[in-house]
Amino acid sequence: MIRFRYIVIGLAAVLILGGLVRAAESRFPPPEFENGHEFPQTTTPQTREGVFAYIDSIVLLGTLGLATYLALKKRRRKAILGLTVFSLLYFGFYREGCICPIGAIQNVTMSFFDPLYAVPIVVIIFFLLPLIFTLFFGRTFCSSVCPLGAIQEIVLLKPISVPRWLESGLRLFAYLYLGLAILFAATGSAFLICRYDPFVGFFRLSGNANILVFGACFLIVGMFVGRPYCRFLCPLGVIFRQISRISKKRVTITPDECIKCRLCEESCPYGAIQKPAEQWTKEQYKKSKIRIAFLLILLPVLIFLGGMIGKSVKNTLAQMHPTVRLAERVRMEETGQVEGTTDASDAFRTTGVENVELYEQASNIRQSFGLGGILLGAFLGFIIGMKLILVSVWRERKDYEADRASCFACGRCFEYCPVEHKKRNERKQQ
Amino acid sequence: MNENNNKNTNNNTMSQWYKTAISTAAVAGIFSFVVIIFLFANFVRSSIVEAKQEQELVNLKAEIVKNPDDTALLEKIRQRDLRYRQNLFSRMDFNHKGAHFLLASVVIMLISFKIAFSLSKKLPAPQHGGDNLKEQIRDAFLSRWSVTAALGILAFGAILFAGRAYVAFYEEQAGEVTFPTDEEIAQNWPRFRGPGGLGINAYTNIPESWNAEKDENILWKSPVPLSGRNSPVVWNDKVFLAGGDPNAFSVFCYDANSGSLLWTGDVTNLFAQSEEEPFEVFEDTGYSAPTVTTDGRRVYAIFVTGIVACFDFDGNKVWEKDLGIPDSMYGYASSLTMFQNMLLIQFDQGDGEDGKSKIIFLDGATSRVIREVQRFVPGSWTTPIVAKIGDGYQYITAADPWVISYNPENGKELWRADCLGTDVAPSPIYGAGLVFGIRPYSELVAIKPDGKGDVTETHIAWSAGGNAPDICSPVCDGEYVYSLTMDGYLSCFRASDGEEIYEQDVGDYFQASPSLVGNKLYLLSDSGVMFIAQAGSEYKELAKCELGEKCFASPAFMDGRIYIRSEQNLFCIEKKN
Repeated sequence: MIRFRYIVIGLAAVLILGGLVRAAESRFPPPEFENGHEFPQTTTPQTREGVFAYIDSIVLLGTLGLATYLALKKRRRKAILGLTVFSLLYFGFYREGCICPIGAIQNVTMSFFDPLYAVPIVVIIFFLLPLIFTLFFGRTFCSSVCPLGAIQEIVLLKPISVPRWLESGLRLFAYLYLGLAILFAATGSAFLICRYDPFVGFFRLSGNANILVFGACFLIVGMFVGRPYCRFLCPLGVIFRQISRISKKRVTITPDECIKCRLCEESCPYGAIQKPAEQWTKEQYKKSKIRIAFLLILLPVLIFLGGMIGKSVKNTLAQMHPTVRLAERVRMEETGQVEGTTDASDAFRTTGVENVELYEQASNIRQSFGLGGILLGAFLGFIIGMKLILVSVWRERKDYEADRASCFACGRCFEYCPVEHKKRNERKQQ
Repeated sequence: MNENNNKNTNNNTMSQWYKTAISTAAVAGIFSFVVIIFLFANFVRSSIVEAKQEQELVNLKAEIVKNPDDTALLEKIRQRDLRYRQNLFSRMDFNHKGAHFLLASVVIMLISFKIAFSLSKKLPAPQHGGDNLKEQIRDAFLSRWSVTAALGILAFGAILFAGRAYVAFYEEQAGEVTFPTDEEIAQNWPRFRGPGGLGINAYTNIPESWNAEKDENILWKSPVPLSGRNSPVVWNDKVFLAGGDPNAFSVFCYDANSGSLLWTGDVTNLFAQSEEEPFEVFEDTGYSAPTVTTDGRRVYAIFVTGIVACFDFDGNKVWEKDLGIPDSMYGYASSLTMFQNMLLIQFDQGDGEDGKSKIIFLDGATSRVIREVQRFVPGSWTTPIVAKIGDGYQYITAADPWVISYNPENGKELWRADCLGTDVAPSPIYGAGLVFGIRPYSELVAIKPDGKGDVTETHIAWSAGGNAPDICSPVCDGEYVYSLTMDGYLSCFRASDGEEIYEQDVGDYFQASPSLVGNKLYLLSDSGVMFIAQAGSEYKELAKCELGEKCFASPAFMDGRIYIRSEQNLFCIEKKN
């Protein structure tokens, strides 16, 4: 029998030490030539240009179409898994995880707030295509196109089920992450999603040690908990959850009438299968109504409090912005709160810009974080309030159903459904 | 029997596959571990051994700086450097290859484990469906607590973050009043046309006769190093004004009692520093048309290139801010205004449709931009006023075609009236409960300032056509409004209904705006003659006082004194006993 703790320890050692070693690669100082050699100009690598960018878009469109066909029409888990491997290899290891629709949220956000930033057309395509497919067909992008989902799908070995109630709480962190990512992109502070992409280091076989360890942790957890990043952190997943609730078509467990055999009950590693439930008693219903009325009153209070709390953290949030960090450093040096200088503060001084101008820019950024903090806090207050209301609402279900929001369209449940097998046999015989 | 045999054979086959998968996973795992050991050893070697080598190299390089002629040392450095680089690239190559081996072995291990788990997976047995109502209720109950716990964690995290120290960019001035009271402002002459920009003096003991040639009632006369058409500003015992030329921009501070130049504050003139042609200015505005302003703590000035500067009363530059060269046809000329701790800059420019014009609210102490309010008006040469109207203050601006009032506390627009036109230079005033604006050469317009939004149709009390001025701003004594054209026509209108009471040719040319001292009008002509006339329904000249020098700036009035800037000098006039 396999001892899981050995696997955990072994992989943890592999990934963490591997990450450390990779991170140890230092940037080497240029040689000191004495023969008048002129160093080439430092250049920033260009983004993938021209036809290749559009090839990526076409591949995205093709994989999305195929994923939708395989999940909704063909209903074949193995084919979906095959496409997952392809997406991992192409969008993950070949394209090194960029561009991805998750990160594109930030580009699109930034284009709304920074008039000087023109979002590339390919980024728009990468942002819109998965959204459109989700709107019409559910989360088929998550099923087998997203490289981040794919790597977690591949490493999943022995899934354990996460209690539904725990998932409700953990999922809030994805909303927080989405809110922060939008706030930081809107203020031009950072592309948070890209900076803390846990898997991009593996795709590129290189990266910051902390991120590699962060990603390794996700992968190790992901061997036993299905897609932890997708379920509890992915900002795009949060958006997709809401869109897929209203999607025109979506994956169903059974191709026909559910016979309630309960074979599929434990098949989903993502807890996306909802069991049938009968109607509540009158007493339960009455209690529920009172509770929902209370929660409805609580909703604006949570929004208001969230806004206030969000405002109170503006100065801390603003420290994500490089200008604010630089201004704080320069100010501390100026007032003797720290000794010595940093490369950044030295470089700033060579520009000849007055300190007061830097402080002014930083103050303005802090102000924008005041408004941003209020909006972020209010958004989280709204989400928490709505979450409390939604979990209190009774939903009658007659059959085993795939949760519209949570279902990744991975197709595992198909293989467990006797109705599905019966249909396949019928098709074979025809 | 055969069936059992087949089953056993299948089980055996499955078992063999399972064992194979597990063995492969184990081998891949061991291989991964070995790779890790090598990589880790490489890492340790590089971080200990190569770090030492690098330090040695640094030390040798430091040594060669001291002994540049030591060829042996130079050769040693070359060899060490080469060896160090070879080691480094070798290590990098090792890491690179190792990472690929590691990836491959981890992938094989994962695939093997997946196969093994698939083979050992047991299919569930069919069961009868049950009622999951209890589970749903329990889930809902626990979910609420789970969400509440997450809320608690988020709130706790936020409180921790909120309590984190941050660096304040500006000195905290808790408890200190950073701006003057209305009473202090009324007792001084802190801006263009005095308190509120109305051209009305709080004192009545102002000299009514003087003559520079005869040194009659001239307390002092001091040269001004740089020219400018801006007016003097006075706060207690200090007189401020600004001047500029192609090479320099400066702020000057004079002792109000002796006339001695206390300090000169130099402001960056980018054109003087550049090798380009000097900045071309319009003669009537020059390099320094806007009048400075003060809050009794600091003095603020703006110049034609859009550079704003702030000095403390000892002449130390507090800050300087470049707003960029305004796109102004006749050169930038709007004077600065203070409201509480804020410096308000009417930065009108462009054609009105390009959105370049704006009101800039700066924190006086720090130059921090508090807000900018965009306005779609073309360049104007007026100076806004701040008037207390009702319970609040209004910041009233004039440009083609709008008179616009803002709340100076938050920058929100209060009302606007479409009543001006062409190149507007006369500033608006407030008096007799009305705001007066001038459409140059055309009409004087009175607006009731209690409206909201576009009040063109509802709040224009009256408009009076005639000989409206193109430069000088009007003045109002509460009963009559007086306007003065450049060619010397003084018009008097009744404030309540706009009826023209009289029009008088004063007989000189004027660019300085008229002022009111008690019930007397003070009109300073371009030739330096102050015409003192009776205010009221009838024009009556009371006196003519000569400085003998050309004057284009409006005078400043203080307790018993007048400060007049001529082309070259600053005069202080006080009645001698």
